Formats: sequence, structure tokens, C-alpha cells
Amino acid sequence: MPEREMIGDYKGEVKNKIVTALFQAYLDILDYDGLKSILKEAELLELKNYKGADPDETLDFFSFKKIITAQNCLLYNCSDLLFAIGKKFSFYLFPFGKKFEDVIEEINVLIKTDWNIQILEKTKKYITVRVEKCFFCSEIGISCDLIMGFLLHSIEKTLPPDKRVDYHRTKEDIKDPNHNTFVVKFKSKKK
Amino acid sequence: MSDEVKEFVFKIVVLGDAAVGKTSLINQYIERSFEEDYKPTLGANIIRKDVFVEEINASVRLIMWDLAGQEKYNVIRSMYFQGCVGALLVYDVTRHNTFETINSKWLKDFKKYVKKEGTYILIGNKIDLTDQRMVSAEDGINFAKKINASDYIETSAKSGENAEKAFENLVHQILKLHGNIK
Repeated sequence: MPEREMIGDYKGEVKNKIVTALFQAYLDILDYDGLKSILKEAELLELKNYKGADPDETLDFFSFKKIITAQNCLLYNCSDLLFAIGKKFSFYLFPFGKKFEDVIEEINVLIKTDWNIQILEKTKKYITVRVEKCFFCSEIGISCDLIMGFLLHSIEKTLPPDKRVDYHRTKEDIKDPNHNTFVVKFKSKKK
Repeated sequence: MSDEVKEFVFKIVVLGDAAVGKTSLINQYIERSFEEDYKPTLGANIIRKDVFVEEINASVRLIMWDLAGQEKYNVIRSMYFQGCVGALLVYDVTRHNTFETINSKWLKDFKKYVKKEGTYILIGNKIDLTDQRMVSAEDGINFAKKINASDYIETSAKSGENAEKAFENLVHQILKLHGNIK
């Protein structure tokens, strides 16, 4: 992609390994035509064979945000699918698992834009996370299912097989323009 | 009538056996084109179209889910139906088995996975193949009544006949079901 000067909300860059992990998640959940549909809606169909891209190179954030916006448009009212895509996205980004602290540190580095995820508190039973200006769900009317799926799966992967994760967050008002900044508490439980 | 334009987003699914012409019907509706080569849909082909319904001064964003007819997608299929409010149930008038699976498979899936009340239209496609026809229009009409379909429409995705009517009629029926139109 040619370098472009970006301003405001669309300034930033995204490492290719993020893009390929997300595309692989689309392929798993929506298959080839689903991936193509999202890229066509984003007017970026030329990225359909992005799989072989150099993982250390970057895609400009404006293009990445166009893909997310297209995804949110076509997957309107599909919270289960978005959650499933978020889980798969975590799986493909960190296929061998990683300490949750490292996952959070890395995702902030891999996606450089005006957003932030941070761990507020971590105990044996709870992890409290603050997500600020999440661009996966920045549109009014779009719930934060993808990032929730991503975080939940990333935590679950660090736990023994007999444990699962539940989460709690204050009721999301998707009509609030600031709904993409929130705090969520994850709790590990016996299966 | 108020000048304010009402806005709606409707998710619909297009269902039916493999190769009955689901993707071709959508292509006719969106692009007014037809491809002779058959390429099976892999997973879900999802298309957006914004339409304006003058009768009620409403703008409708139609999200069409064209679902693969193959069995391999059965596991994930339930998730594809989430938030859906209407369906086109498509069969091929030249293949009787595709007519039979409307009730035994596709309508069953729709009723099972669509939690809210949904509306559906029965579509007999490929009417341009007149000399190969195996399912009569009369059988289609009677069957639509039997399964409580909102309407029965015969289409040709190849010539484009009634393709637009099928989708516009479904939008109309959805608006009617939700009390937005009389």
C-alpha cells in the first residue's frame, strides 16, 4: 500500500499479521464468499489474497477501518457471529497462546491508532480490562462483540482445560457515541 | 404524511438447494446481470442494497444473505440466521427434488433459527426453461398456501423476469408484518 498522510480518527497503521489473522477468522466463520463480501463492501477486493503479505509490513489504518466498517454493516444484528469472529481472530493472531498481559501489550503495538486496551486489575479469579475508543465497534448501533470474543478467548487459552471464562460489564447502550469505551470484568470458573 | 424519512435495516436470507439460482437472482436484482457459469457459493455471500419505499417515505437498508446450499455448512448455519426478518425460499422449477426440500429442509431451518416472527416468499426459479419444467405454477401456488408463504412468485434469474419484484415484495411484506405499511 502506498504511504499516505492520515488525519484524525483514521491516522495509524496496522501490522499485516493482524489483517491476515482477521481474514483467516472471516474464512473460518463466513468462508471465502463471506470474506469477499466484506472486502467488496469495503471497496478493497484487491486484498482478497492478502494471506501471503509480509507479516512485519503494515496496512494503513484508514483501509483497515474501512474493512471493519464494512464488516459491521454486513453483519448487522449478528452478535453471535461477531463474537465467534473475535475468538477466531485471537486464535489466529496468537496460535500458541500467550500470557494475557503480553496479548494486551502486543495488540496495542500491532494496531497503532487512537485506541487503548489496558489491564486495570488482575487477581487469581478476576481480570478487569479497560477498552478505550475501540474502533471495532465505534459506530453507533454496533455492539462490542468482536473485541469481547477476542479478549475472552485470549484469557481462556491461558487457563487449564477444566476452566472457562465468564464476563461482566455494565449494560451497553449502543446508541451512546461513547459506548466503545468500557470496562469489563472477566472471571474464571470451573467448567 | 410527515416529511421525515424513516430508516430501517432488514436482514433477509435467500434459501434453497445448491444450483437453484439464489446467487443469480441476487445478481439480477443488484447488477441486472447473469453469468452462465455456475460457481457454488462458499459459506455466505452477503450483499447490501439501499432501497427507498415511497409509499411510506422510508429508506430501507437490505442486507441479503445468500447461503450456500451445501450440507457442509449445517453446523454454523444457525448463526447465519441471527437477526433475520424474512426469507426467499427458492426452488428450481425443472428439478422436483428442490421443490420438496423447501418444506423438509429450508423452511424448517428458517422456523427453527429465526426467533422473531419472520415472513417468507416462495420462489419458483428458472421459468425460462419451459420445455424442462417439472413443477407447475399451480403446484407452486398451492404449496405456497400450504406453507403460509406471503406470496408465490415465478422468476427467471437468467432473463431477469420478476427478480426485482421478488425482493421488493419481500421488503413490502416485512414492513407490513411490523405494522409500517397497510
